[in-house]
Amino acid sequence: MTLVADDVIQAPPRHWYGWLVSDRVARYTARVVALLIWQWAGTAFEEIPTPRGTFEFLVDEWHRGEIISNISISLVRAVIGLALVLVLGLAIGLAMAKWWRVRYTLTDLILVGITLPAFIWALLVVMWWGFSNIGPIVVCVVSATPQLVVNTFQGANATPGPLVAMSGAYHVPTDRQFRWLVIPSMMEYIVAGYRSAILAGWGAVLLVEWFGNDKGVGFRAHYWYDAGNFEGVMGWGLIMMVIILLFDRVVMERVVRHYRRWRVGSAGWSV
Amino acid sequence: MAATEIQLEDVELERAVASLTARRRRGTNILYSILGALAFIGFWSFFSVFVYPPYVLPAPWSVAERMWELVVSGEVFSNFLASFLKTMLGWVLALGLGIPIGLLMGRFRYAKAFLHDFVYILANVPLIVYAVVALLVFGINPFGPAFVVMLEVLPGVAINVAAGVESVDRGLLAMSRSFRRRSSQTARSVVIPSIVPFLFAGGRVSFANSWKLAALAETFGGTTGVGVQIEKSFQLFSVVSLLAWMFFFVIFVIAVERFMIAPFERWVFRWRRAGGADEGSP
Repeated sequence: MTLVADDVIQAPPRHWYGWLVSDRVARYTARVVALLIWQWAGTAFEEIPTPRGTFEFLVDEWHRGEIISNISISLVRAVIGLALVLVLGLAIGLAMAKWWRVRYTLTDLILVGITLPAFIWALLVVMWWGFSNIGPIVVCVVSATPQLVVNTFQGANATPGPLVAMSGAYHVPTDRQFRWLVIPSMMEYIVAGYRSAILAGWGAVLLVEWFGNDKGVGFRAHYWYDAGNFEGVMGWGLIMMVIILLFDRVVMERVVRHYRRWRVGSAGWSV
Repeated sequence: MAATEIQLEDVELERAVASLTARRRRGTNILYSILGALAFIGFWSFFSVFVYPPYVLPAPWSVAERMWELVVSGEVFSNFLASFLKTMLGWVLALGLGIPIGLLMGRFRYAKAFLHDFVYILANVPLIVYAVVALLVFGINPFGPAFVVMLEVLPGVAINVAAGVESVDRGLLAMSRSFRRRSSQTARSVVIPSIVPFLFAGGRVSFANSWKLAALAETFGGTTGVGVQIEKSFQLFSVVSLLAWMFFFVIFVIAVERFMIAPFERWVFRWRRAGGADEGSP
């Protein structure tokens, strides 16, 4: 769902206080207000950590040398898992689009896979493999692949049939048809699917680490929870969030925009 | 403009799932679908009988037996009811808070810019962070799961209501004004019908996720519900019970979807079929 209908809303009036209601200032105001509310909640309630306490905790944790090592372990696991998700998701999705027998054989299994919560997989995997590197990767794969499969399937079906038929009639070489028609129309869906798969996969790795592991971001959060240090839990929870938001903002949003760029301008006349 | 673009990728997932199921036809397709399920159970049986000991991978029939025990003892119903009520409470809170927020975001540019980051962050946080928040703020308490379900559902509701407000036909609004309709009447026949399709699009997507989150939050710090039972199976190292609850979870989500949400949606959109009105779905 995209919110882009800016023209519908009137631009703010140009008063002397105009900059105060500009979008940029509004967003910074929101951040400051959020920080103030957090600080207030932290001081008002015993069990909620304050921003200041959390920040100090993170500095201490940095000096203990835990931050970089645990983040990199979790990231390596997520990257391996998500690479497998990409290969498997594309292969299964394309196979389902190409052969109807594969499609009907797998549809129900894929739907069940989407319904299954990652944390149940996480508990199972901890019982099966204990503290290991396999666990997080396996859960990452089983919980993120079905999402990419359905998106790939949809993308493969979005190929503009009439255009492909016309290219055939005008003897456009197959490789050019593929590069100019099939791939661009598919990529939008695949990239969007992979974006949500990344969120799911990262969450899955963290869950497994929380429930049973001796390394990683999720483990560290659980460790401080067991120690009764809520600032520690908050600090590591913040790290979990910041990593995924940064990646989403800096990498995925650009990639999605890149693969959608050809649609801009065609919106007016496309069917 | 990047600042005003909020992506809810799950909406696309929902549409993709719809495209997958829309192509289902009767006959041979059902045969293949059964074949897929049988193949899965076949693999599972093979590994459980010949490869792994039963405490690692129990056979499908022992899981079925365990599921039957849970049904007979009534544990399934009481626990799912507990989780269901919490999730519903979360939904009611999310709608109560999300609709006004969405109306503000759709109407005022300042509200949209102010709330943008909150909505974006809430929509893109891994579920485990929500569960941790519930645990920190509420401790072992039934309101923790309800609270985080609210947080998780809120962005979808707010964004879709905002998109709905922006899609309201300005011409119809002007016409209602010319004909001196009361604002309550305009709201009922112009504004609400254009928001509701968006609301459903956002709501259906968050639905499956909200069950997962409620169960997860219960696992972290609940006293009743499916999540607690799953946690208990884990503590007892009982793969049989865990698999049994896992299948109940799937059955439950699919049943709620088919027998509650789908009929409700048909009821809400009955005016479309009756008048053959223009589809306003996003």
